[in-house]
Amino acid sequence: MTLSQLALTVAILGGLGLLASRFGLSAIPAYLLAGLLLGPNEPRALSVIEPSEVTTFVAELGIIFLLFFLGLEFTLDRLLRSGRHLGLGGSIDLVLNAAIGFLVGLVAFGPSFAAVILAAAVYVSSSAVSVKGLIDFRRLADDETDVILAILVFEDIVVAGVLGFAAAGGGGVSPTLIAVAKALGFITLALAASRFLPRWIDLVLDRLPSEFMLLFTFALLVGMSAGADALGLSEAIGALMAGVVLAETSIRREIEERFLAFRDIFAALFFFVFGLTIDVEALGDIGWLLALAVLLTITAKLVGGYGAGLVGGFNKRQSLNVGAALVAHGEFTIILAQVASDNTDIPAGDRADLVAFAGLYVLVTATLGVILMKESKRVGRMLFASPRLERTGNAL
Amino acid sequence: MHSELRETRLPGIGTKYAFETAHGARVAVIQHVDGTRELYVFTRADDDEPRAVLQLEDDESRQLGAVLGGAYERPKIVEELEMALGELAIEWVPVPAGSPAIGHTLADCGFRARTGITIIAILREPEPVTGAQPGDTIQEGDTLVTVGKLGQYPEFRRLLAEGPIGDA
Repeated sequence: MTLSQLALTVAILGGLGLLASRFGLSAIPAYLLAGLLLGPNEPRALSVIEPSEVTTFVAELGIIFLLFFLGLEFTLDRLLRSGRHLGLGGSIDLVLNAAIGFLVGLVAFGPSFAAVILAAAVYVSSSAVSVKGLIDFRRLADDETDVILAILVFEDIVVAGVLGFAAAGGGGVSPTLIAVAKALGFITLALAASRFLPRWIDLVLDRLPSEFMLLFTFALLVGMSAGADALGLSEAIGALMAGVVLAETSIRREIEERFLAFRDIFAALFFFVFGLTIDVEALGDIGWLLALAVLLTITAKLVGGYGAGLVGGFNKRQSLNVGAALVAHGEFTIILAQVASDNTDIPAGDRADLVAFAGLYVLVTATLGVILMKESKRVGRMLFASPRLERTGNAL
Repeated sequence: MHSELRETRLPGIGTKYAFETAHGARVAVIQHVDGTRELYVFTRADDDEPRAVLQLEDDESRQLGAVLGGAYERPKIVEELEMALGELAIEWVPVPAGSPAIGHTLADCGFRARTGITIIAILREPEPVTGAQPGDTIQEGDTLVTVGKLGQYPEFRRLLAEGPIGDA
């Protein structure tokens, strides 16, 4: 990738992102689409950018920053305070959607590790798209928004675990178990470190001029990513845990402010670069499977979210809003496919299918999901009687 | 009747504070992580669409809060103060993050000798320093309560933000 190509890419990403936000859509599908169009695969009319070492590296930084920021939001105290919706609502959503994802994976790849990855990719909704929708559609004051956010947090935790071994598992039962054990060990170690390390980090980083604070933070981030990579885990889990460790320090806010711009730029490039590798033709005969997966996802997310809402004590209209907000898939689905695409224990054909599936699946669900979110209140008013009447009805 | 203010964490977004008014409306304030606030107003507590959503920057929220809280008598007081002080001013100057003065004593900094500004107190958590002494050390997050002439402040602020401090 040359500088002029980079300039072209970034300009196109900016333009498409702006266009998407004009229509109230998330920028993620826009970035993917840009990659798909400019990339070397079909359609070829606009193919000007080849994946190369540079694009791979940029994408890697994108993953690292995305997960770093997620980690910064995770502290044990905050998780505990997320409260009662986390466990029950999250479990309903997990059981229903992971089952459906695994089913689709079984049909596509047979009983294999690729099917497990697909299950996770179909299970995890997009926090980024959902949260943006909640803000744009002015849902932040709604009571059911708490359930939505709690479920999203639950999903992110589950998938963080899968991400730990997504890069290494799949070469038979015992290597996979070893990979899982390594991932759990790494996460446990990092969580333990997040209990006592922040005090020392504070002592050092807080005294440094801000320029060097930036450099040392970056070194820690990339270092933990590289460490996870060297252990045969994915760099993603290293970055996530770097965030978790720094989440407890007093400089968390400053880190967030200073690195936000990096995250936005590299995340956009990451989605774009992923788009480059989507080969629509590789999808070939599993195209129908994609359609099936989208249909099943919409149904299962709506039903699961609706159930979680009712269980949480919300009325039918509110519960429908919960389901609608969970349909969109995004960053984690893409990250899972990207991490798995480096895993040589998964057959090459399956990996190409996974990438194409994840890319197109996110394009469709992120777009439909936002529309569903926008319309869920109107639909709810048509489908369900007003909660005021509902209450009176019960009283009689 | 005192209405109950409910506080809820919104992971990844910020914090929500909500309460119902005596007249049956519902008000929610979202405090975003980046400092901006949003004010949601629902005409009736169980409405599912807000009547209005207002986005406020940090300073605007404080101002609105002061007005609502009845504390906005300030302009009159300030006017009187200005008359009493004449050319002198009392200013609250926050120490910028990364200021070279952090970690130095007031004597080291020599603000009075170099700019004419006198530091009379330091506001900090948990305990403010009243009657600041030359041996007091400036810390990150401090707000300096100062007395001086208005014209001396630009130089003072520059020195506080960029130095040089000490024997340089």
